[in-house]
Amino acid sequence: MSTSPASITNAHDPITIEIIQSALTAITDEMFATMCKTAMSSIIYEVLDFGVALFNARGELASSGSGIPGFIGMLQPGVQAIISKFSGAGEINDGDIFLLNIPHKGGVSHINDVVLIMPVFSAGHIIGWLSNKAHWVDLGGAFPGGISPDATEIYQEGLQLPGIKAIDSGKLNQAVLDIILSNSRVPETTEGDFWAGVASMRAGQKRFLSLAEKYGEDAVRFAIEDYIELGEKIARQAMADLPKGVFHAQETLEDDLTINAVITITDDKFLVDLRNNPKQSATSSLNASHDSTFVDCMMIFKAITSPETFGNAGSFRPIEMLVDTGSMFAAEYPTAVGVYYEASMLMFDLLWKALAPAMPERLTAGHYASICGTFMGGPHPETGHNHGIVEPQLGGWGASQDSDGVNALYTGFHGDTFNVPVEITEQRNGLMVDRLCLNDAPGGEGEFIGGKGITLDYRIMTEKWWLTMAYVRSEVGPWGLKGGLEGTTNYVEVVRADGETTRYSACTAVPLGQDDVVKVYTATGGGYGDPKDRSQEKVWEDIKNGYVSPERAKQIYGLSD
Amino acid sequence: MRVATDVGGTFTDLVCVEETGIRIAKSDTTPPNFEQGVLKVVDKADIELPAIEDFVHGTTVVINALLSRRGAKTGLITTRGFRDVLEIARGNRPDLFNLAFDKPAPFVPRYLRQEITERLDYLGRVIEAPKLEELALIIDGFKADGVEAVAIALLHSYVNPDHELAVERRVRELWPDVSIISSHAICGEWREYERTSTVVLSAYVHPIAKGYLASLDDQMGARGLSSKPLIMRSNGGVATVDGARNDPISMVESGPASGMLGAAALGRQIGEPNLIALDIGGTTAKTALIEDAAVKITTNYKIEWDRANPGYPIRTPVVDLVEIGNGGGSIAWVDDGGRLHVGPQSAGALPGPAAYGRGGTNITTTDANLMLGRINPALFLGGLQKPNWDNVNAAFAALEKELGESKDDIARGIIRIANANMINALKLVSLNKGYDPRDFALIAFGGGGAMHAVALAEELMTPKVIIPVNSSVFSAWGMLMCDLRRDFLKTDVKLFSPETAGAVETAFKDLEDHARTVSLKEGMPEDKLRMERFADMRYAGQEHTVKVALPCKAFDAQTIGQFADEFHRAHKREYTFELDAPIELVNVHIVVFADIDKKPLPERTVTGRTVDETHKGARIIDFDEAGIHEAHEYDLGGLEPGMLITGPAVIEDATTTLVISPGKRAEMDAYGNIHFEMVG
Repeated sequence: MSTSPASITNAHDPITIEIIQSALTAITDEMFATMCKTAMSSIIYEVLDFGVALFNARGELASSGSGIPGFIGMLQPGVQAIISKFSGAGEINDGDIFLLNIPHKGGVSHINDVVLIMPVFSAGHIIGWLSNKAHWVDLGGAFPGGISPDATEIYQEGLQLPGIKAIDSGKLNQAVLDIILSNSRVPETTEGDFWAGVASMRAGQKRFLSLAEKYGEDAVRFAIEDYIELGEKIARQAMADLPKGVFHAQETLEDDLTINAVITITDDKFLVDLRNNPKQSATSSLNASHDSTFVDCMMIFKAITSPETFGNAGSFRPIEMLVDTGSMFAAEYPTAVGVYYEASMLMFDLLWKALAPAMPERLTAGHYASICGTFMGGPHPETGHNHGIVEPQLGGWGASQDSDGVNALYTGFHGDTFNVPVEITEQRNGLMVDRLCLNDAPGGEGEFIGGKGITLDYRIMTEKWWLTMAYVRSEVGPWGLKGGLEGTTNYVEVVRADGETTRYSACTAVPLGQDDVVKVYTATGGGYGDPKDRSQEKVWEDIKNGYVSPERAKQIYGLSD
Repeated sequence: MRVATDVGGTFTDLVCVEETGIRIAKSDTTPPNFEQGVLKVVDKADIELPAIEDFVHGTTVVINALLSRRGAKTGLITTRGFRDVLEIARGNRPDLFNLAFDKPAPFVPRYLRQEITERLDYLGRVIEAPKLEELALIIDGFKADGVEAVAIALLHSYVNPDHELAVERRVRELWPDVSIISSHAICGEWREYERTSTVVLSAYVHPIAKGYLASLDDQMGARGLSSKPLIMRSNGGVATVDGARNDPISMVESGPASGMLGAAALGRQIGEPNLIALDIGGTTAKTALIEDAAVKITTNYKIEWDRANPGYPIRTPVVDLVEIGNGGGSIAWVDDGGRLHVGPQSAGALPGPAAYGRGGTNITTTDANLMLGRINPALFLGGLQKPNWDNVNAAFAALEKELGESKDDIARGIIRIANANMINALKLVSLNKGYDPRDFALIAFGGGGAMHAVALAEELMTPKVIIPVNSSVFSAWGMLMCDLRRDFLKTDVKLFSPETAGAVETAFKDLEDHARTVSLKEGMPEDKLRMERFADMRYAGQEHTVKVALPCKAFDAQTIGQFADEFHRAHKREYTFELDAPIELVNVHIVVFADIDKKPLPERTVTGRTVDETHKGARIIDFDEAGIHEAHEYDLGGLEPGMLITGPAVIEDATTTLVISPGKRAEMDAYGNIHFEMVG
């Protein structure tokens, strides 16, 4: 637990402090809205695969805005990496904007998630930091879109930006931008997304400064420290209500990959021990950096302590994590980490599974637990212009102790993330969507049933398209609770124009031609409770709505005629 | 004589404008038979219906049916393969950290979502014609299941409505007396979930709205109203009864819209075209920015939406306003971390603030205003009731214990937090959109507007505050300042360049022709029709758009460059940068107006009375940072144009309280509006 600098006194009236603290949220909200409305790629403006945040002068997170809660914990290591890299006098100046994307060195996730970092100066010294992290569609590398499960070194995944000034004292470093744009397969989009990021930070800077002008720097600094301490206070109070003890879970997934987690909850500590896990993979990019695994711990901790309130550096102070360097959850440079998000999802889901039986009011049975990142590209049939889509998919959530699981929602790693409308994807990308509906495959039954995943069929309208994807939970479905059944699985089927069908859980740049159909299936979540305890009335309603077949209903629920 | 009635959550307000002046009346709102309250308030104001030239009506019947889930059982017909779009929605979970999230249930369950074989592509070309023979079975099923309204939403109908029209015709043949609405008729924008949601909610309220409008029309007609009622819409215009019946969802925000429209109209009359309007009611506060005496319109509207809930989108044109849960009845509470908050929970009219003594145990903003002396206890609840101090003290005691502070400090804190919440909302419509509040006057109305306005203006640094005459029923007066208006929006994505000028012009012309036909059919008078052009535009590659008003001048290779500059400017103002990138037109937006003869505010009579004659006494008021002072009390009803009052003071009547901090000056204009000059 850190203490406030001595210069900050408690002489501020609490109402003013609270008003400044709400203004901090308003600042990150505005940064978020600006980014969303000006960005060029749908992964940012629609999927909202980005986050923005505000920090104290030491780079500790004070307030954040995000479509993706996981991003909230990812920005602090980046800011702190810049603070330590540029520690000499005069190395950081008013108007600087830094770029950083190396996952093992403060960038946290993968090469495509580019972090912009900006100091905020008032009267010649730094009063705080702003940061923005967004998924850029292409930064070069061996594969279109940069990401492939087959990558083995980071050099194959795109251009590395090791914490460099793209904007120096307010002036664009054109050389940096030129290098980035010449390395991208979609330079126009990349340039648009870069400026959207800059606009969002400058909007935040303006508001931050006006706050300091109005209330005085001292009050603002105090309010930020106080806010971080409030985050900690809320977290520690909530810990008092948690069940104490040791909770563990193990799971064996595809390719006999067995992963382990042990969580110990004491009065003041949330200790996550991940030391008994596989080595980093040398043959795939299913690896996560140490910092992104820490985000898994933050996410689950927040969900069980205070999901209804804000999250900042204080909210996560009770967490400690033990992990072996060189394992798949703390991969070392220059290991490939392109599909880090699936490795992180595996661990997040495992922590969830460890705690769910003890905390049924906060945690449901297992959800589809895969980002289901789907990358496709090729020429638009009308314009011939190359298009690429980067889309996570919706899936089913697990049932809880008192309600059915939610149908078709983004993962627990996502948040205010929107799918891309069919009408827009057809116009923009020149695909046809043959259907988008709930996946009615049997599974996930229980007293409360798992929510349904989706079936989404993309028809390719011209030659020279390609598909890259890597889904986990492709062999073993989401786990049920208290006798609820396991859900279904995530996968893709490619149905060729001649009817030949291939099933994939991962693939890289599979060529596609006209009238080939890519069928995405996402999992139904796990059930809760014995199916025999589901009320007959609800089962009849399920049959009426086509959620279960009459035959299956007889078999699973013992429905009488 | 022109009369407006505004049905609100608690009261039904009436404003009547005639040659001799303005009359106002208030009566209780009478759910679910709202028309009863309307008739009652008309009687109360002693109005002869045959003498009315225009009768304008704003109603909450649509929003009530939605929020209370009392609409019709609705069936949906959609493209094969897509019946679950309504339930899948957009898959977002705004409650970011919550892993026990519950998604809002669709208004139509799956068994009432039926599919028809048909398909258009994104250019509107027919891939497969609709198999209309499939409809007989669907309609039989709907009848058996007790469906009362049918919504039709097919993919890409915003480009080509033919398939929806064919399905609608066949459904009408099969089932002539059912309520039917097709998506293209009420929403011309892309995004299938949003358009489907819009048509489903429209169908859901259609039978109720139809019944209500018919009953209102009949009852008013039977009592001698010779003209047809005009119905207030969310877009800041009024509709004919036919127009409102065809597009019932357009009434969803009629009350808030009319207040903003009224502010724009008043601004025009008194030479204040640039305003930030603030309407503080019992439960919420609403604010909108008015530029050049015009309100802005958006179709990005949702009901039941908040930080934790994705809500339900309704793509209907609504005055672009921000609404927050902060009104007179907002409850003060303390969180787990020991922090004081105000709202969004409201004590409503029942139990109401603690001082009502109707069982309310929570301190509200109203109670805090009373505690600080800002509300005159003698005029509490219109002077009809004394504040219940025992109740107030008991409710404060709970907060004192939790916070360890004195009553007065807590009351001051509540007002400061309520003001800070409102300031954030005011910034959202101004600063956050690139407008400098110093270029605007703040106009405040609604029950609580006058009480908070001066403090808010100080913080926001607007140079002027205006409290309009009859500010507590200002929204009803606003209705009398509206013209007939109908919006037509259509997604039609095209490059906006000299090469494509011809195609852009055709897109506007085609929509104008359609708009004219529909408007005339709904009874808008041909001789008074005029149109305005707007475009939603963006840089190619972006998704979100900026709305730009365009002069009604044909697009050609020359003019299109000037119009493009308008876009660059708007983009820069809103987002701080412009790009040297191609521009795309996304939505064509035509607004049809038919002007109504409106009476401006009449001048207030001057008798030569002096300020001293309106002086009633003095009381102690806590002005927070400006100190505690003895403030003179003036009777608002007795004030006359030209009178000047300097704070510390309070001007009040049974429905309105104007708090004037020390040193600030208030002056009444020729029409009875009060102006505060904040500078100097």
